[in-house]
This record gives sequence, C-alpha cells and structure tokens, in this order.
Amino acid sequence: MKTNRRNFLAGATAVGAGSMVMPGLTFGKAFAQETGTLVFAAAGTVTSSWDPTSHTVAPQITAEGLVFGHLTNCPMKPENPGEILPDLALEWSVIDTYTLEYKLREGVTFHNGEPFTAADVKATMEYACQPDRPASAWYPGQVEVEVIDDYTVHLKTEKFGYPALNFWYVVAFLPILSAKDVADPEALKRRPNGTGPFRYEETNGDQITFKAFEGYYGGKPEIEAVVWAYVPDANTRVLGLLNGQYHLTERLEPEQYQSLSGEAGIVTDRSLSSENKYLHFRCNKPPFDDERVRRAVVHAIDREQVLAVVGEAGQASDCHISPVKFGYTDVENYPKYDPALTQQLLAEAGYPNGQGLPEIEYITSVGFYPKTREYGELITAMLQEQGFPVTLTTLEPAAWEERLYRRADGQGPGHIIDVGWITGSPEPDLVLRPNYHSDFALINGIADDEIDAALDKERNASSTDERLKVLQEETLPLLAAKVPSISLFSSVFLRAMSKNLEGVYFYPNGPIDLSKARLT
Amino acid sequence: MAFAIEFFLRRISQGLVIVLLVAFVIFTLLRIVPGDPMRIILGPMASQTTLEETAKELGLRDPMLIQFGRFVGEVATGDLGRSYIRGVQGGSTGGSQDADGFDPESRASVAGLIANALPYSLMLAGLGIAFALLVAVPIGIAAGLNAGRWPDKIGLYTSSLFVSLPNIWVGVVLIFLLSAKTGWLPAIGYRGFEYTIIPAIVLAVELSPVMIRAISVSVAQNLGETFYSVGLVRGISRRDMIGKHVLRNAAVPLMNLFGAQMIGMLLGGLFVVEYIFSYPGIGMLTINAVFQRDFPIIQAVAILASAALVIINMLVDFASTLIDRRLKF
Amino acid sequence: MSNPSVEVATQPNLAPAKRGAGVTRRMLKRAWGFTEMKVAAVVFATMMFLTIFGPYIIDASATQMNVSARFLPPIFMEGGQYPHFLGTDQLGRDLLLRSLIGLRNAFAIGLVSVIGMFVLGCAIGIYAGYRGGWVDVVLMRLTDVQMSIPVIILAITILGLSRPSPLTIILVLILASWPTYARVSRSVALAEREKEYVRAARILGASDLRIMIRHIAPSILPPIAFVAVLDIARMMIFEAIFGFIGIGIQPPTPTFGTIISSGTQYLLNAWWITVAPGVLLALALGSLNLMGGVLERARNQVLQGGE
Repeated sequence: MKTNRRNFLAGATAVGAGSMVMPGLTFGKAFAQETGTLVFAAAGTVTSSWDPTSHTVAPQITAEGLVFGHLTNCPMKPENPGEILPDLALEWSVIDTYTLEYKLREGVTFHNGEPFTAADVKATMEYACQPDRPASAWYPGQVEVEVIDDYTVHLKTEKFGYPALNFWYVVAFLPILSAKDVADPEALKRRPNGTGPFRYEETNGDQITFKAFEGYYGGKPEIEAVVWAYVPDANTRVLGLLNGQYHLTERLEPEQYQSLSGEAGIVTDRSLSSENKYLHFRCNKPPFDDERVRRAVVHAIDREQVLAVVGEAGQASDCHISPVKFGYTDVENYPKYDPALTQQLLAEAGYPNGQGLPEIEYITSVGFYPKTREYGELITAMLQEQGFPVTLTTLEPAAWEERLYRRADGQGPGHIIDVGWITGSPEPDLVLRPNYHSDFALINGIADDEIDAALDKERNASSTDERLKVLQEETLPLLAAKVPSISLFSSVFLRAMSKNLEGVYFYPNGPIDLSKARLT
Repeated sequence: MAFAIEFFLRRISQGLVIVLLVAFVIFTLLRIVPGDPMRIILGPMASQTTLEETAKELGLRDPMLIQFGRFVGEVATGDLGRSYIRGVQGGSTGGSQDADGFDPESRASVAGLIANALPYSLMLAGLGIAFALLVAVPIGIAAGLNAGRWPDKIGLYTSSLFVSLPNIWVGVVLIFLLSAKTGWLPAIGYRGFEYTIIPAIVLAVELSPVMIRAISVSVAQNLGETFYSVGLVRGISRRDMIGKHVLRNAAVPLMNLFGAQMIGMLLGGLFVVEYIFSYPGIGMLTINAVFQRDFPIIQAVAILASAALVIINMLVDFASTLIDRRLKF
Repeated sequence: MSNPSVEVATQPNLAPAKRGAGVTRRMLKRAWGFTEMKVAAVVFATMMFLTIFGPYIIDASATQMNVSARFLPPIFMEGGQYPHFLGTDQLGRDLLLRSLIGLRNAFAIGLVSVIGMFVLGCAIGIYAGYRGGWVDVVLMRLTDVQMSIPVIILAITILGLSRPSPLTIILVLILASWPTYARVSRSVALAEREKEYVRAARILGASDLRIMIRHIAPSILPPIAFVAVLDIARMMIFEAIFGFIGIGIQPPTPTFGTIISSGTQYLLNAWWITVAPGVLLALALGSLNLMGGVLERARNQVLQGGE
C-alpha cells in the first residue's frame, strides 16, 4: 500500500493527450535515452531501505522483481493458480510434514560476483522470517534451514510447530539475498544485490536506474537498462506514454484504459491481479460484533451494480481469495443480494428496519484504488435504503492507511473499512491468516473459535490435495457464512505500453518480468 | 532615517510576536487533532512498542510547551526540521519502515522541500498577478473615471461575475476547453513554462475583482478631491491631471490593498489552484502534507506564510508612509 | 483570504454619521432603486424557490442511483431524457436535483457561518471598542494573529486532520473570518461611544450592556450589511472548495465541490457533470454578489449625503 496522488481528470487527458503537447516543445528530452533503455512510469516508489525484509510496500516489491531471484516462480495464471516453475531452485519435494527439500541451480552469481549457494538460502530465510522483521507478516512463521550440500537445502519447521508445506508457495515470494549482505545490514539497506536479470545502478531524484546483468543465469536481457520513473499523477503517466517519453505504465483508471485501447502505437494490458477488494467489518465492537448484522449488510449490497461502476478494473468473484490463489473456488453459500433477508436478519438482531442501530461509519480511500468513491457512494446508498444509518468517509490514501489497522487497544476507527489485499504468491494464508485468525485479524478484529479452527485445519493439512479440500469445503464457506469481511470483487490491473515493447510478463501482484522483453 | 529605524524596530517586534503566536496556534492544533503521525512514519506493520519508542525519541510524547520551545529554538537557528514522509530525494517514501525505527537522516529537510517548491509558486503568482492587472487596470481606471456611467457598470458586472466563479470550477472548465478539447495548452503537472498559463488565468480571475473595485474606487475618490478641480481651474488639461496626479495618488491605496488583501487571497488561491492542476508548488506540498499528516511541513509553511504576510504588510505600510510624506509637503 | 470589503468599510470618512436604523432604512430603499438589485433579487428568489421545491416538482432523485442511466446528457442534447433536465452523473443520479440540493447545503452553511461570524465578531468588536483599554489591545492583537493565517491553510489543516462535518465546516469558517466583523464594529463602537446620545444614555444610568445592544449595535449594520451579503457568497465558494479537495461534507450528500471533482474524471465523455452545476452555482453567487455590490453603493451614496 502506498501513498498516491488522486487520479485527476482520468480519461479526459488520454484522448486529448496527443494534441495537448504544444508543437515545438520537447518534453521527451528530459531523459537522455540510449537505445535499449526502457522507461517505466511507476505509480509508486520505493522506501529508503533496500532491505526486502524491511517493508510491505507494493511498489518496492515490483522494483525488487527486477533485481532479486526467488527459489521458485509462480506465474499465478487463473487457469492454473497453483503452477510452480523453477527459478533458483530446480527441484522441490516434500520430505515429511515438517521438511521440504530444494535442489538449487548451479552456476548462478549475484550482481556483485559472489556465487549463489545453499548458504545464501539459509541466511536469507532465517533472517526474513524473524518476527521482528516488518515483512515477516507475510511468512508463515520462523524456519530453520539445513544445508545438506552447496546445492541442496531442507526447510524445517518442526521446532516452530506448523507444517513446512506452508512455504510451498511462499518461497516464490521471498527474495533471495546474499549471505554476506545478511551479515551486514547496512549494505543490505544501501543497495539491492540479487541474482535477477537487472542490477541496481543508481538513484537520481525520482528515477532509479537498473542495468542488464551480464551474468544473469537466463542470459543477459536484451533491454540494456530500465529506468524506474516515479510519476504519481495518472494523467502525466498516460501523457508521457503517448508522447513516447515512457514505454510502460501501470495503474490506469478504467476510462484511461478505454481511451488508450483505441490508440495506435499503444498496447494495453488487462490482467487479473492477486488482489481482492474487501469491506471489513470491525467485528469487536457493536453493531458488527453481531454476526447477523454483518450478514444483513452483505445481503443489502448488490455487487453486480458495484462491478458495473468499477468497469474494466474489476472482475466478479465469489470468494474471500482471488482466482489466482491456491484454493479459489466460487463459494456456494457466498452472500447474494437479498434485501428481504437483510430485513429478516435485522429484525432477528433486534434492529427492525435498522431502528436502534448506532451510526455506522464507512471509511474508504480515494486516489489509489479505482472508483472507491463511486462505489462507496453506491454501497452507502444501498445500505441507507435498508435502514442502516451509514455515513461515508473518503480519505486520501495516507490518512486512510493511518485509520486502517486496529490500534494497540484492539479497536480501530469506523465500522466498515474498504481495503484491497495483494500478495505475490498463490499462498492463500497470506490473505486468510492476517485477516481472519484471531491472533492477527489486523483490520476486522474477528475472534471466532470456529474460524480459527478452520484456518488451523487448513494450514496443518499434510498434502496439497487435502489442503485444497479443507479450504474449499470448510474454511472458505465458513468465512462466507460468518462474513467478518466481504470480498466485493477481484481487481484487474490495467496497464499500457508502447507497441515497440514485446515479451513482457506481468505478475498478478505487480512485478514485471522484463528478462525476455525487447524494445524494437 | 530615525523615523525608518523606529518604524522597523516597532513593526518587527510586533511582527515577531504575531508570528510566534501563529506558530503556537498551528503547533497546538496539529497536536490535538486526532490521528497519530507515528503510524504514518512507521507504517501499518510496526509494533506498538516500536511506535512508542520512536515517538519518544522524536520527542513527540513530551509536554506540548516543551515541544514548542524546542521547535522555536530550532526554527531560530534556521532549522525547519525534517519531513516525516518524504525521502531525501523529495519524493514520498513508503510507510513501512525497518523495526529499528525512524531514521530522520533518511528524510528530506523541510527547508529544502520548500526551497524547491517556492520558485514554482512565485512564478505562478507572478503570472497570475500580471494577468489580473492586465484585465483590472483598464477596466478599473475606466470605471473610476466614469463613475455612474456605463464603464462603471461594466466594472461592477465584471467584478461581480468573476467573484462569483469558484476557482475550482473555472480551473476544470478551462482544462476542458483550452487543454482537453482544443489541445492549445498543457494543464496538469509541470514540465515547462507553458504549464503555468492556465493556472495563472484561474488565479487572475480570482484576483481581478478585488483589483477592479479598488482601482475604480480610488480613482473615483481622487477625482472628487479638491486638488483635481483646482488643477483644472489652473488650466492643466484633464488628461494631464489624470495621467500625472490622479493615477499616482490612486496608487497609494492600491499598495495597501496589495499588502492587506492580495497576499492573503493570493496564498489561498495558490493552494487551491495548485491542487487543481497538480502544480508542484508550496500549496501542493502543503495539501499533501496535511493529508499525509506530515506535521513539520505544515508548521513550516504556516509560519512562513504568516511571516510573509507580516513582512509584506510592514513594507507596504512603510512605503505608503513615505509616499504620503512626499505628497504632503 | 482576507475580505475584499474591509478596505472600504473602515475608511474613516465613511464612519456612520447618523443613527444606524435610519441609515439602514434609507440604504435599503436606495438599493432597491437599482435595476441590478431587482434583477439579482429575482434570480436569487428563483434559485431559492427551486432548491426548496425542486425535489417536489422534478420527478427524479438526487440520491437514487441507477447504473443503467449513467452519463445521460442534458435534455437539450441528443440522448437527453425527461425528467433529467441537466442529465445524470456517473452513478445515474439527476444532476439538476443534485445541484439544487448542493446549493441548498452550500447556502445553509454560508448563511449560518456568516450569522455566526457576524454575532461573534460584532460582539467582540463592540466590546473592545466600547471598553477600550487593555481589553481592546488584546482583542485587536488577536485579530492580527488571526488575519495573519490564510483561511485556506487554517481550514485545510483543521478539516483535513479532523473528520469534516457541516458543523466543523461552519466553525472553521467562523474562526477564519470573524476578525473582519470585529474590526469594523470596533471602529463603529469607538466613534459611537463619544456621541451625545450614548453619553446621555450613560448619564441616565443605562447599563453598559444595554448601551452596547440598544444604541451601538444598530449602527453596525450599515457599514457591514453588504460585507455579510458578499461573505455568504464567499463562504459558499469555500464550501465548494472544501468539497473539491475532499475535506467538505462527505458523499453521498450532494455538494458542489464533490460533484465537480468527481466530474473531472469524465470531462471528455460527460462534461455536463462538471459544467452544469457550476453554472447554477455561479448564478446563485452572482445574484448574491450583485446585491452586495449594490448595497455597498447605496450605502456610500446615503452616507455622502445624497437622498
């Protein structure tokens, strides 16, 4: 999640953009471009530390995608969300409940010339999973890595009491650092040193330059350099793309996407992300401590209309996890629009027609996710129609983020919170545990023994088949029945690039694979 | 000379007290509003203990008067502090931070951020005032010289019309007409001088009504003064009287106007216009800072703005006293 | 933003020379003599009538969303549909009704805040002017401080950092603008307290409070009535700006600022979402400003002795 500017005049500039540039003025000269340099207009930027374990910031994860390698690689395609491809590991297998084995690729070097071996995997994983690292929230728990030989490691979790299978998908998300760097946190902060296709060159103002890495094990990328230009305004990004200043840009508004789709010389990309958009209920305070009131709310929301407003930027899904996640299914008992049921539930809960309900505050952000204000108004009106005394609070992303999570006292501001949850691995627990397990329940504060039990059962499953079954038949239906939050739809990322750019792969959580890309 | 020294000593000391009070008001305000800036500095994932420790290190848990005293001490030595959010590069950095907490050295200095943004705002303000004068001077003078007749009416109508157009609306409509529809001028952001033109027009629409009124009123008053009729009786042509005396005399109240009202209006106008156009000046910096709860920036801008108001008022008063003296002899 | 009217209002040669009530009456009478005043009053009355009765006359809804009737153009354009005279917005709501309700909200906020700043400012100003001494010095320095913070900075800071509601918006506007009223009423009180009739009243044993309310307060009206009228329009613009920045009344309650700011996203395919409400707002503000301007002229003419 990142601070961002609102998307002013989204769409409008896209069409007029070609003519918006005054003749004779050369904006493109701002970047002295050599051939083979790709300029990426990014919607976000990186933090002041290059240590991947120091943050949970989406744009930095995208930047890390250029520089770092992972043990495995999950393309997360909706038709096969569980697919795992080799990256730094060539083979992987389950030894027993608490042990996974990874056979590593030989002949890989880091950008600083150091060879990659099992010691690096051990140092990275044990470091990243320490609970005091900010990014450890992504990982299932601490782990012990046993170095069998230079190119074989065992991930062991027995000591920490949970099955090793939890790392099955997560290793595709955890950037592998050099053991030497892990021993020297200052170096880790100062510059990224990975095994990926691009090496970090320099930061200059809002521009970060990456150069093709000659020693990349997959072969030196054709693109000589990638310039990461932080351009917070969506219209400026679109404009720059149209006049050739940028080659690639992200996070388009649906209107911009539509107008760019008709533009010659531009290729648009629309891909399902690993993000779902949720409304979380603060379950540890009235009125949403009553399950019936939560259900009354979700049955009052007509998600088809919400989706109509979101347009190209959304895709229908009836599940608390995204279709690119392991375990996704259209949950049968997922709440449907049913005002009669809403009224019945309200009456049962002692609030006939909403009478007696306290004022409910619905908090949403404006400027980062597409159309939040529009569908916020829509949902507010739907709820008001059923008698809920709802008020909508729209906030700038930073202010919203400050109110998002529960505080030290366990309470959070407001009652209904709009948020998206995005993670770079098919692992469903990256969504489910932080949000619905009473140990965390970062936003909604749900503390429900049945949900905890269902989550633990799914996590402790001893095979992927069994886990899939538990997830689809128990855990997800239980969440749909108790609705500590509702997933409104799955996000679709809208990007656009120059026609000259070929061979790019977009991961559903933001990173971009440019290792095989070409600029013609 | 003695007069000037006494004047400035008195006004500077008064001004200092005012700026200090303004600083205190803003400082207090920022610390009593809900919302903990620590959450934004450290990010959502930081633990409560880290939060408290960093807050203590930064002195955010000290009693308010102590915090204010320390702040004034720093400002006195020219240190406006460092942003909570913005990195050394000037861009916003992510919220999440390392568990060892917040390292102020990794954040941009407020003075630097303001110094970067100020030229843009000054350029926009300058162009806006120029456009406004271009419209207001002819209309205002014509209206003042013809009180009660049609040019006067035009003055009244123009200023009533312009003052009734909200700048947000004018801004968006001009973007639509001059940029999106026709492609004559660029509008959003800043990448060259031409990006200043539409915002400056919006600013001028906002400023010109006050100018028109002030110019016409002061010209009309001067026409009513005795020196005017005396001059005419002495045989000086109407044209010369107006050109040489009336307009010069009318300049005094105009200068007052610039001090007392224009600067305040201009500041307010700049904030909104910069926001509409994503124009990278002080206003944009401040509005983003408010949304991001970047208190050091808000404080600094508020203090500098009030200091600017005080200083400009002082200079204007001084200048008009000087002119007045010369006029009196 | 400081008040454009202070300059004229505080000019010493325009200090009230006659008893307030009589001047007020003559001022209003003279103002009504202007054609502009009549036109403005008619426009304004029409707007007010529409904001109050529009929702009953027009068979549409300002809040009911209709996803299938989004982006309908105004009725005079091709594709326009009855009863959406000004078309519909990005959620299929009727724009004319939304604008009218936005106008009602803006006017209510403008009116209440001006009454608030008038009462507060005049109370402080009269007290300071009548009492003089250290009370006067302290209160007037306070207005100096107040006037040295631009309204927008103050408003953005307070509203951006707290939860905006109509009440907080009104309070912020009052807080930011009362000094104008305090200064004008102080200068009036200062002049009035030396007048014969005030002295006479004091000798006759009238209490200070009574003198301030019965004798001084009525004199405040002529120099400040037009400021108040102009200020209603100014406060309405502020309300729109706050809404635009996102620190005003929160959606889905219609306000001009939020309508215009959400419309900016759709300028090329549905420009009317932005343009139409602005025209309506400008009409309302224009009539208010014209009335204010005429009032000021009428007052000047009355004070300069013309009858």
